[in-house]
Amino acid sequence: MPDDRITTVALLLEQAAARGQSTLAEHEAKQVLAAYSLPVTREILVTTRAEVAPAAGAIGYPVAVKASSPEIPHKSEQGLVRLGLADEAAALQAFDAVASALAGRGGGVLVQEMITGRRELAMGLVRDPDFGPCVMFGLGGIFTEILGDAVFRRAPLEQADADDMMAEIRGREMLGAIRGLPAADRDALAGMLIALGQIGLDHEGVAEIDLNPVILAGPRPVVADALIVLRPELPVL
Amino acid sequence: MGARAQARLASFGGVTDFERIFHPRRMALVGVSSEGGAGFANGMLLACRAIGFSGEILAVNPKGGSFAGHTIFRSLDEIPGEIDFAVIAVPAPAVPAALEACRRKGAAGAEVLTAGFTETGTPEGRALEQQIREIAARGIRVVGPNCFGIYCPASGLTLLPGADLSRESGPVAFLSQSGGMSIDLAHLGGWMGLRFSKVVSFGNGADLREAELLHYLADDPETGVIAMYVEGVADGGDFFQAIRAAAARKPVVVLKGGLSEAGGRAVVGHTASMGGSRAIWSGVLRQVNATSVASLEELAQACLAFSHLPARVFRGICAVGGGGALGAAAGDAAEAYGIRLPAFASDLRARLEAILPRPGSSAGNPVDVANPFVPPAVLGQVLRLAAEDDRVDLQVLISLLYHYKSQARAIGAAVADITPFAELAETVAAAAADTGKPVVMVLPDLMRGPENLDLAAMMARAREEFTRRGVPVFGAVGQALRAIGHVNAYYGRRRAR
Repeated sequence: MPDDRITTVALLLEQAAARGQSTLAEHEAKQVLAAYSLPVTREILVTTRAEVAPAAGAIGYPVAVKASSPEIPHKSEQGLVRLGLADEAAALQAFDAVASALAGRGGGVLVQEMITGRRELAMGLVRDPDFGPCVMFGLGGIFTEILGDAVFRRAPLEQADADDMMAEIRGREMLGAIRGLPAADRDALAGMLIALGQIGLDHEGVAEIDLNPVILAGPRPVVADALIVLRPELPVL
Repeated sequence: MGARAQARLASFGGVTDFERIFHPRRMALVGVSSEGGAGFANGMLLACRAIGFSGEILAVNPKGGSFAGHTIFRSLDEIPGEIDFAVIAVPAPAVPAALEACRRKGAAGAEVLTAGFTETGTPEGRALEQQIREIAARGIRVVGPNCFGIYCPASGLTLLPGADLSRESGPVAFLSQSGGMSIDLAHLGGWMGLRFSKVVSFGNGADLREAELLHYLADDPETGVIAMYVEGVADGGDFFQAIRAAAARKPVVVLKGGLSEAGGRAVVGHTASMGGSRAIWSGVLRQVNATSVASLEELAQACLAFSHLPARVFRGICAVGGGGALGAAAGDAAEAYGIRLPAFASDLRARLEAILPRPGSSAGNPVDVANPFVPPAVLGQVLRLAAEDDRVDLQVLISLLYHYKSQARAIGAAVADITPFAELAETVAAAAADTGKPVVMVLPDLMRGPENLDLAAMMARAREEFTRRGVPVFGAVGQALRAIGHVNAYYGRRRAR
């Protein structure tokens, strides 16, 4: 129910603002996205070493272990993302390293499914001073900044707008069936772009959303990492 | 119409009488100085007289006197009867009182040429502009302040420095935040063959501005193409709705000034760092199917194509020129805009070869006619034959008329006398009309300089011969194909939606 998702997310944002957060931790951001039906990684937030093995077992190896803290918006630059952990020993070792680096800062440690796919995309939301919430779509991973291959549309997006964004990026061939990889699920991608715009329209308190990478697991897009920046100057609605 | 504009209209319960604004029968010029004075209003009076403004001009100045045969009224109240419109060019502090007097005189609108308002960044300037807005809300629409005003060829209203603009009307409307851009396009369009319905320089846009004017022009039967120069918008939401509605009905060509990257913004994530105003505007303009251009020249060329070509997508073209490189350039430019040059079948090639000069010509597509001196009648036949190919939707003819200069020198004749531009224009226009496939002319103009003023004069006359027959002329093949590409993108996307 649309009303339910607005309420759910408003509550999450309100609680984060009450704690004085300026961003949502990855796990919180994924809850916001999931409420709007964006496909996100399966993951479990743990705070103690004892929780790691059961969580990883439930997710299934290999797993990723990451810091999930509102105080660390760009965690990969700080070595707080450990990928492709094949067994319990590796997962525990990663937990120890991430947890000690995290010490004293808020948040927890995420045990997350590993999404494997060779194609990485980026999506996001930004508030433009003229046009309000605008949705971004482009190539992900390190290409986002190097190639600057990203396009924008003002929210709300219609299906045709989302389709046109996929046709407009220079790297559009990445979405087709290439080198033995299946064509991306364009309907799923369009749904995600439309939903991102809707989050921006529904929640004034969201300043910015950064989904990077969105990995194509075969044809299926999954949000592997997410950052939501809150608007400090406004009361969260 | 946007919520703000609607609220403002509702506040005085009026419907804006744009007819009386663009075609005033009685117009007050406020601020005309007596003989010997040389204010903006004096310049405007002379400009209106020169262009042949069709209504009555009523000069106003508290000092009275007379100017250019007009007795100057000491106040608006002294004018007998109502006025339709006013041009206000008095010092900024005197503008609110003058505007209020115009409102009492029943004017539907006024343009305020005077500068010294919000653009100064001072509290006084902002307060004066707020007063203008308040008076406007009581029932007079304001263009400006800090603008060049309105140019409407049908009525003879003209921009401040626009004494020599054309009185010939056409389908192109132009909205400009910049006065300089408005007069530049009016002049540029004059020789390029653009004809205007309305040009509005709205300056600071205290009252009438982009969103509401877009709604008006979308409905305006005199306007077939809307062009605009915009730096900032008063309300992004209103603008978005207005331009989307307008572009659904007619082409809207936008030159956005003052684009900057995210520089000044507080940026946390990657999305915001990529979402500078350039990227956002580019996305928004594509979203509403507006035509985005990067320069005033490109804007004028796009308007030329939109106003001279039929409303459709041109998938395949034939390019005709003298010289292989010209054809290659046409092919390369066409490819960049997704336009094909279909190769002709062998029987058509044979019929073309039979009429082309030998050797050196090539009857494929592009058609290389080998030299710049091929008689117009032969070029006309080439166009008619090439048009038989169903895959050809439009033809581009590149003619290097400047080469006639060397012939003229050799025989001691004037270049304008020996260059068959009038015959060529006649032939091309007839071929386009008979085949139903438009021809776009490219007349490169590479020999310039003081020693070639005779060529400049001939080229100007040649261009005029084509444009008055409805054949658009471009200066380079890349410019022509870029403009056709804009037409294709607009109609292709409009149909897809």
